[in-house]
Amino acid sequence: MSKTLDIKVNHVTRVEGHGNIRVRAKDGTIEKLEWQVPEAPRFFEAMVRGRKYEDIQTIVSRICGICSVTHSLAAIKAIERAMDIPVTDQTDRLRILAHYGEQLESHILHVGYLVAPDLLGQKSVVPVASSHPEVVQTVIALHRLGNLMMEVLTGRKTHPVRLVPGGFSMLPSAKELRMLKQELQDSVPKLTALAEVIASLAGGIPNFTRETEYVALVNEPSYPFYHGQIGSTDASELASVQDFESVVNEYVISQSTAKWAKWHRESYMVGSLARFNLNAEYLAPLAKQTAAMLGLEKGCYNPYMNSVVQVVESVQVVERSIELIDEILTVGLRVERPDVKVRAGVGAAAVEAPRGILFHRYEFDDKGECVSANMSIPTNQNHGNIQKDFEALVPSIIDRPQDEIRQVMEMLVRAYDPCISCSTHYLDVEFV
Amino acid sequence: MTKKVLIGLGNLLMTDEGIGVRVIQELTRTERIPSDIEALDLGPGGLTVLHAIADMDEVIFVDCAFMGEEPGTLKRFRAEDVQTVKVQARQSAHEGDLFETLELAKRVGQCPENIVVFGIQPEIVELGADLSTTLQAQLASYVDAVAAELNFPSEN
Repeated sequence: MSKTLDIKVNHVTRVEGHGNIRVRAKDGTIEKLEWQVPEAPRFFEAMVRGRKYEDIQTIVSRICGICSVTHSLAAIKAIERAMDIPVTDQTDRLRILAHYGEQLESHILHVGYLVAPDLLGQKSVVPVASSHPEVVQTVIALHRLGNLMMEVLTGRKTHPVRLVPGGFSMLPSAKELRMLKQELQDSVPKLTALAEVIASLAGGIPNFTRETEYVALVNEPSYPFYHGQIGSTDASELASVQDFESVVNEYVISQSTAKWAKWHRESYMVGSLARFNLNAEYLAPLAKQTAAMLGLEKGCYNPYMNSVVQVVESVQVVERSIELIDEILTVGLRVERPDVKVRAGVGAAAVEAPRGILFHRYEFDDKGECVSANMSIPTNQNHGNIQKDFEALVPSIIDRPQDEIRQVMEMLVRAYDPCISCSTHYLDVEFV
Repeated sequence: MTKKVLIGLGNLLMTDEGIGVRVIQELTRTERIPSDIEALDLGPGGLTVLHAIADMDEVIFVDCAFMGEEPGTLKRFRAEDVQTVKVQARQSAHEGDLFETLELAKRVGQCPENIVVFGIQPEIVELGADLSTTLQAQLASYVDAVAAELNFPSEN
């Protein structure tokens, strides 16, 4: 074999937070193969120090425009733990509903914007809107529904304002919840159509498997995004969320300024595939049926299938949301005041972000001011696993043309649905 | 009646990148938004913008914009006056380009004709909760410029 490769996917200035792919091979021997991730300093943790407990969720919700409900809920749960603040069943259900809205919005965005164009051989969603308008219309309608759920539950399309420690600052009305239920029911045929499109394109998904450790919330007998302890496919016992640092085991590596994570082996994966591999038997009926239609079975070790599981989870959250609204309306909405007694304490929480398990920990003094904070985001937990995937993947495809290798590697990164700071939304224009 | 929406875009935790949201917050705080105009802080925006503009006649955006101008410069332009030169890594769903979203809206037949953009050239785009001193010093003038636009009748 005399293959010589030189792949450098380096992102130019102004594209912050994205990773670089570096491959160098000479005469068939791989000399360098790296997933290099730049990360800004852990600024968010410093930003919340000295702030009052009731301001934390507003600040952290701005970390990410896609995971803003998830960040808010992780903060709120940790604060409630630290100060022993009680939470009612109604609050629990409404929060989970808002969180389902975010899962739907994020998954549909990822599948529609990044994965479908790859599978359709297009550079972005824009040409897909012309070549496959029905697919893009479906994606937009489902994304709008996720947006609507968050708006009804949290008061805003992005960056929630009604989620507070101890409950809600304002409740949705029964009428709004009934409207939402109708929209959710109407969305089911669209979800089925999207799943069928993805199934029809599944031949374009690289056939690559590498078993790793999968880590996600586990809360039997459910498919959890909000409650539970930390489960691993490498462990028979669950780990406590309060000890999340002993799961994440962050370490520094020279090729990356972001910290990496390892638990029972050299790397682990979080996200939809991890949740599926730990909890698939608890999917709701239609989600289970969708998984079967997409050829998914528990014990799937192809990381590219993470995006396919996102379609299954989109069905799951819609099914469960309809049930949740029924439960809420059957009991009847009650106005409840958060019952907060400010005190010193420490608490950690875990919530499943669309792209994997997210941990927050805060310590407060007796005035309710934040003394210290620690966050571990899903994408940082995945970086080590992306590197290990690269190391298994590239030798198996090294005989292919360089551009194809680069494309397959980029698709792998996209499959992990990485979360970077939403810093790249500014305009960059030339006047014509 | 013409349906108008004013949309501020940006991330408040990225210094000058959050300028669009700051302008909306300031206009709302000082009650300078006419009752017939909806004002939205859509944070980093993305596909959510498409839903917000779908059935509008006119849209006014305020956003951080690299325009080759001096930091702090505000320019009012129409969507058709510019072409985007933004490079996207396309590794994640977390980046976006408003002009790509507008192109998508056009292709699915959900794009209003009349789109005005107030672009503000940043000085600093990095992690940080405050605006640069350059933009902070001119915040009031940006708010005035957008407030003046809101009182103009439609150009059509």
